[in-house]
Amino acid sequence: MAEETVSAKFEVYRYDPATDAAPRYQEYTLDLAPHTPVLTALLRIRAEVDPTLTLRYSCRSAICGSCAMRVNSKSRLACETQVGPELARNGRIVVEPMRNQPVLRDLVVDQEPFWRQYDAIDPHLILDPRHPMPEGKETAMTPAQVERFHETPRCIACAACFSACPAVEADVGFPGPMALAKLYRFVVDPRDTATQDRLLRIQPAGLWTCLRCHLCTEACPKDVRPSERIRDLKEMAIRAQGATENGSRHAVGFKENIRERGLLQESKLVRQTSGVAGLVSQLGQGVRIYRKKPEVLKSPHRIEGLDEVEKIYAALDREEDTS
Amino acid sequence: MERHEVVVVGAGLAGQRAALAAVQAGRDVALVSKLHPLRSHSGAAQGGINAALGKEDSVETHIYDTVKGSDYLGDQDAIEFFCQEAGPTVVEMEHFGTIFSRGEDGSLARRAFGGAGFPRTIYAADRTGLALLQGLWERLGTERFTLYEEWDLTELVVRDGRVHGIVAFDRKSGAFEEIAGKSVVLATGPFGRVYGRTTNAHSCTGDGVAAAYDVGAFLKDMEFVQFHPTALLESGILITEGARGEGGILKNRTGERFMSRYAPHVLELASRDVVSRAIVTEVAEGRGFPGPYGSYVHLELMHLGKEKVESRLQEIVDFCRNFAGIDPVTEPIPVYPGQHYMMGGIGTNKRGETNIRGLYAAGEAACVSIHGANRLGGNSLLETLVFGKQAGIAAAEYAATAPAPEMHAADLDAAVAPLRAWSSRTDGEDPSALRTEMQATMEQYVGIYRNEADLLEGLKRIRAIKARFDRVRVVDQSKVYNVNLTDALEVGHMLELAETIVVGAYARTESRGAHARTDYPKRDDARWMRHTLAQKTPQGPSLSYAPVTYTRWEPKERVY
Repeated sequence: MAEETVSAKFEVYRYDPATDAAPRYQEYTLDLAPHTPVLTALLRIRAEVDPTLTLRYSCRSAICGSCAMRVNSKSRLACETQVGPELARNGRIVVEPMRNQPVLRDLVVDQEPFWRQYDAIDPHLILDPRHPMPEGKETAMTPAQVERFHETPRCIACAACFSACPAVEADVGFPGPMALAKLYRFVVDPRDTATQDRLLRIQPAGLWTCLRCHLCTEACPKDVRPSERIRDLKEMAIRAQGATENGSRHAVGFKENIRERGLLQESKLVRQTSGVAGLVSQLGQGVRIYRKKPEVLKSPHRIEGLDEVEKIYAALDREEDTS
Repeated sequence: MERHEVVVVGAGLAGQRAALAAVQAGRDVALVSKLHPLRSHSGAAQGGINAALGKEDSVETHIYDTVKGSDYLGDQDAIEFFCQEAGPTVVEMEHFGTIFSRGEDGSLARRAFGGAGFPRTIYAADRTGLALLQGLWERLGTERFTLYEEWDLTELVVRDGRVHGIVAFDRKSGAFEEIAGKSVVLATGPFGRVYGRTTNAHSCTGDGVAAAYDVGAFLKDMEFVQFHPTALLESGILITEGARGEGGILKNRTGERFMSRYAPHVLELASRDVVSRAIVTEVAEGRGFPGPYGSYVHLELMHLGKEKVESRLQEIVDFCRNFAGIDPVTEPIPVYPGQHYMMGGIGTNKRGETNIRGLYAAGEAACVSIHGANRLGGNSLLETLVFGKQAGIAAAEYAATAPAPEMHAADLDAAVAPLRAWSSRTDGEDPSALRTEMQATMEQYVGIYRNEADLLEGLKRIRAIKARFDRVRVVDQSKVYNVNLTDALEVGHMLELAETIVVGAYARTESRGAHARTDYPKRDDARWMRHTLAQKTPQGPSLSYAPVTYTRWEPKERVY
């Protein structure tokens, strides 16, 4: 365990809204072993250079979720981000507060928007008094049922996913990856009796705002994979209720298009997704596309080998029936 | 001024459980915490929670193991109650929503832990604390109470032998407030950060314990400090006992499985104090691996196979890979004992009552005592829930009939004045430097093996640092999220507690459980089978002693 140190240059976001007109970046340079966590480096700056540098931290072992921030533009936990790879990637280490939550000061954000979305999904077991839990005994839950939670019980509510999510940035009403992964955790819980109700409420509450970019899954330090659970919720929601939103109608229409002809029928898909009113509202854009690509209004041909597509659909239908 | 009936300080498992009990009793409850409840240190507990639910196991055996593990310093009436409550407590947490690991038949899975006669530890992979914290927070969230999130406790208000509330400040705004309460439950967790190498979070600074000490509460058995045998060498991050429960073994530099010499029957699953001292002895006698962060021994998991290690010890794999650059599937883990648990704390009975009317304590901040001189793995999560609930019930009962609390403007001024003085100095002591010196002192002079000369030196040094703290300076002038002010507050709290640890350790001229005196290597039941009580005086802690409660178990030599 020989220790060679490297000179690490940090550029740290500094901002106190009470006194500063605008944020600034402050530079610090430290000699550090390459496996030093960014949090350790920031705490050294606080202890040795500048005690006014403000951050939130506690466990330093990736379990309390306090020290999520952006390191070289990526939302992650400072405690488990090592300086060596960051320097190799970027030559310096730029440390900034998370996004999608207002900055309180320096690296500390106000997490109220994040917790508000968490609270909104009813994050607790909803029980039916007609089906009480077994008296004095645990609910039986097989290992297979436990596996249905996937990795959602590992969530430490650090909000790195919330910070990384472009849908949260675009739409403040979007629950965000953590709240949706948490919702999934309750939907699959065999003890919860509100599964159907939860699924009925989630489509209008913004489920389809998710862009499927998977940045949440990339950001998550605990491998919770929120985007995969959001995908599961979308499937479950359509099965529970059919397609009720533009997003789900688009998904269902897409599936039907391919099944019919093996190709997208774009004008039809717009109608399927947004209805006639939607078609009218998008008329201007349709005309512009038509000028460039007149063939969009024609129904496309059926592709060759459509029988193969049908076989795939049949196999998927069988799988769905057995799940 | 804010007013509530029951004020709970600390929102980990003990505080949340106390709050739930008080809310269920119909009281208006405030829950005050310097961390969001889900960020509490309870969430870092990995291994599990004990309950004798197996057919072959029994509450009797759990009681016996806990009494023996405590090295006969635990109060047996409290231990009996504690173990009887274990099964219902775990089942209740399951009903609240906690997701535990399961056996093939759908029942709660159990694993073996050190010092236990049977596999008794119920778990959720290796994140049991997190699973419990989530389940309890979800349950508590369905009730009405007021959360004071990210508020720092500065002071308890006690007048005429009775508590009237607290003074705290809101980190977000920097505003100081009185929060009046008919009763106060302190559940602020441990103070492991008095030591340098500790598995505890940075926030484990004993704020509630120091506040209670400051107003005359007895601190009990403060000299008993548990060192976890397997902390990651450089960072002190905990490698759960579950790693040994799953079959992990310890080896010294000669490749020897050295626990066979210290605990021939149970080997690596001997009680924590036994394993910690074995490692320190191996290193002291030259059989450790040398390195820039000190000498160490190896914890090996390689023989368990990739699949078992990655599925059963997932968090450990992540810790090793992310914090030490080590892959435990293919390489040994460098470990050395680190401070892990404080058996001592605010003295309470099994209802959480202290010697001050209306003041209650629970969890690691308290000392009932069920752990006595040494805590068994899997008993601390259980303690938070069993005694958190009891303290909540008792605090609610007291609040139901107690007269309204009296807070005066002078209380707030008195609490805030010293903090303002810290911030107005243009020259003075840096809290970070004081903290580092305190930690090094405790590590060097009040560690796993202790002796009179070291303890005297340690006391001298801690008192010198305390004297310098009188001139502590807070540089940061901002009102918003001033962690520099929190630094100073915390180090002031910890210095008081460090002093009680050293004084208690110096006075106790025997070896018992986690307290190992090389100059008094034997347990001395005739003189020392009693609890240490420390009370604050201007000259430092004044010690007195209280008897241990016995029911059915006669002290025996503790052999594993």
